[in-house]
Amino acid sequence: MKLEARDIRLHLGRSEILHGVDLTARAGQLTAIIGPNGSGKTTLLRALTGEITPTAGHAMLNGRDVAAMRPEELALTRAVLPQQSMLSFPFTVAEIIRIGLTATHAGQGSESNGLIRAALSRVGLPEHAGRLYQELSGGEQQRVQLARTLVQIWHPVGRDGPRWLLLDEPVSSLDIAQQLTVMRLAAEYAGQGGGVVAIMHDLNLTAMFADHVLLMQEGRAVAEGPPAEVLTDHILSGAYGCSLQVNHTPPNGVWLLPQGAAL
Amino acid sequence: MVALDAPRERLAGDRRHLGRALAVWLLGLLAVLALLSLGHGASGVSAPRVLLDWLAGHEIAQTDRVVLFDIRLPRLLTGILVGAGLAVSGAIMQGLFRNPLADPGLLGVSAGASLGAISAIVLGGLLPPAMLAAAGWHLVPLAAFAGSWLAMVTLYGIATRQGRTSVATMLLAGIALAAMIAAVSGLIIYRADDQQLRDLTFWGLGSLAGASWVKLLAAGPVIAAALLVSPFLAWGLNGLALGEASAAHVGIRVQRVKTTAILTTAAATGASVAVSGGIGFVGIVVPHLLRLLAGPDHRWLLVNSALLGASVLLVADMISRTVIAPAELPIGIITAMIGGPFFLWVLLSNRRMLDG
Amino acid sequence: MIGRVICAAALALSSALSAQADPHPDAQRVLAIGGSVTEIIYALGQQDRLIARDTTSSYPSEAQELPDVGYMRALSSEGVLSVKPDLILSEEGAGPPETIAVLKEAGVPFETIPSGTDAEGLAAKIEAVAEALGVPEAAASPVKALRADLDHLAEATGDEGQPKRVMFILSLQGGRVMASGQGTEADAIIRLAGAENAVQGVEGYKPLTDEAITSAAPEIVLMMKRGPEDSGHAAATEALMAIPAMAATPAAESGAVIRMDGLYLLGFGPRTGQAALELHDAIYGGA
Repeated sequence: MKLEARDIRLHLGRSEILHGVDLTARAGQLTAIIGPNGSGKTTLLRALTGEITPTAGHAMLNGRDVAAMRPEELALTRAVLPQQSMLSFPFTVAEIIRIGLTATHAGQGSESNGLIRAALSRVGLPEHAGRLYQELSGGEQQRVQLARTLVQIWHPVGRDGPRWLLLDEPVSSLDIAQQLTVMRLAAEYAGQGGGVVAIMHDLNLTAMFADHVLLMQEGRAVAEGPPAEVLTDHILSGAYGCSLQVNHTPPNGVWLLPQGAAL
Repeated sequence: MVALDAPRERLAGDRRHLGRALAVWLLGLLAVLALLSLGHGASGVSAPRVLLDWLAGHEIAQTDRVVLFDIRLPRLLTGILVGAGLAVSGAIMQGLFRNPLADPGLLGVSAGASLGAISAIVLGGLLPPAMLAAAGWHLVPLAAFAGSWLAMVTLYGIATRQGRTSVATMLLAGIALAAMIAAVSGLIIYRADDQQLRDLTFWGLGSLAGASWVKLLAAGPVIAAALLVSPFLAWGLNGLALGEASAAHVGIRVQRVKTTAILTTAAATGASVAVSGGIGFVGIVVPHLLRLLAGPDHRWLLVNSALLGASVLLVADMISRTVIAPAELPIGIITAMIGGPFFLWVLLSNRRMLDG
Repeated sequence: MIGRVICAAALALSSALSAQADPHPDAQRVLAIGGSVTEIIYALGQQDRLIARDTTSSYPSEAQELPDVGYMRALSSEGVLSVKPDLILSEEGAGPPETIAVLKEAGVPFETIPSGTDAEGLAAKIEAVAEALGVPEAAASPVKALRADLDHLAEATGDEGQPKRVMFILSLQGGRVMASGQGTEADAIIRLAGAENAVQGVEGYKPLTDEAITSAAPEIVLMMKRGPEDSGHAAATEALMAIPAMAATPAAESGAVIRMDGLYLLGFGPRTGQAALELHDAIYGGA
């Protein structure tokens, strides 16, 4: 089972933002979408979630056209972590996570309490259920949102196929330990048979966790494949517009890689 | 599979029990206020005594019957429906616009209603006599209701493109529309004689003094239908608190929620304003207070807004009927007099909530 | 539903049209709505039967001690019933209509007194109140007094030649002059007093532009007294004359500002003959 973009073209106003992008993300894998700012990563993800309908081409989820699926069906098959969330009212953490249970109709029952607790533990916030969301730090808020997406598709594989986690920069405001927690969680979800598609800025974490990488530049996919094939000096330098070298240790100074972390 | 342990234990941050307890408490409060409201009035007719007399098989005096059944009962029911309708409309609008200060005024409903009322009061005399006779003294409420719907439909049309309603466009277009309506109203008011001007002033202050069975039968079902629909918006409005995109991602049909929210609010507000004139602050203060007490979860917020809104209006109406008896103070003055300072106090002690 | 609405409306209309008052000689608890009705009841010597009044009934001052049921166009049905009237006498225009319908339903006789602004209309008004109270003979004396005042007025007017131009100013808010055009009580009393309304071609009370004030060129300004006589009036006159358009009028040059009590001047009750006479004398400087 796959999440696919087939020749997706997309116009916003008069200008074309995506010029025919293809992507094949497989269940059981963590697929990373990388590329410089403004390359169309988030727009592609929005097309994959069904939030915007492409001008041409299709987004296919487990073999079905996303545009033809009802919001409830989509919600039971994939969950989306937005880049940033604004909240308008003083909800508690538990209440926010419960919103993720809208489509499963499990939000009322008492078994949902256990689910919410378990999700909070997985994102490393076991004691935060009673806190007000607006009083949390940016990193904590992001992990609460992740917990909300997790309860929506708690089991990585459902009766009618794999579930999908679509993450837009899931580690952007996290410290390094939290980044590792979240990336391990995503990798674990893929390991249990679910699908994960994540927009990534950090190329080290991408190299460390991704099974499959799509590199975008100016609304096109310029490379797709395993990290070792995409993350090369030549391809990255061309895409990001500066000279980059992989696996090159600086001659002096301090440097740190997430690969070296032990938890 | 993670063990879903201890399902009976209460989850921290789960405030549904507060909402539920509050609902029970508010229902009791409303019942007590309804009885008080039925039993008290300027005329000193005692409801329990009349009831006992009636049970004992005595004839009820005509004045007692009129006071209880033609004055206090329709007024009580109108007060409950109008209070509930205004508070629930406020809560829905705040959820839809994601702003605790939103109110149905943003839909142009209030402006449209007042234009309708102003036109009826000032220009009603220009209608053909047959039409005037048919509408009779229901001309003002009918025109107010029509005006509120016309304004709402216009705004909704402006803000909806390709099946999607832009809440931001609606907000801005609402300001423009309200300004245009105010200009037209001003033009009509210029024509008014001084008696019509006084009528306009009193209409704007709001009152339940004109409550009657005929009005209740016309407006009641509209408000009641809106109240019955409102609980179905709860999950949708909770989802919208995360933004429209996230709401859609968790499986909410966002456009359907928006359309339902707008229609419900326009119906409840339009009908309320039509029967009672302008009654301010209930729609903002009541939901705000309830969010402080039991959180913003709409599953209880909407129900409790209805109950507390009805109670607040009954209290305000009792004050309005008795404070300068046998004359009556317009109820809008009382809700604004209590609501204004209270609202200011809530704002000052909870700035963080608005900034968040 | 619609049927019911039409029915109720038709009922309300038909009952409003039957203005001919029935006599109620036994009524001992009378509620008066409208300043002129209250005044007439006192003029008829029937004040002992009066138990309540509306906000506009401020004369005579004893009337102000009676319970006030509110503004005549925003009455509350239970408030009215609470004073337990057995007869309601009202000027035209009491409301809201729902309240009037409920009062009739409650079985309280509700008599509407037709309004009038000329000699015949005023006499008919007094007679209608007397009729409704079941004391038609009591009308003779106040009607006679009224007619005497009006005859006196008729003698006084007519020998002035060119009538003077009077502008009635209702209010002066922020330098904006709200003056009376045609179809108002102010217009009627000015004409009754043998003068001419300086503001022509305007219906009702309207704010006037500077040019309209200049072209109206009033020789006299007429205003209502506000509260007790004090220095406030002098200040108000000064403010009025400070308006440039106003300062250019004949009224400003001669400083001719007349102030009279609002109800006395505009109430159109038994004192109207006197009021018109007093206004006439103030305008023409007569005896």
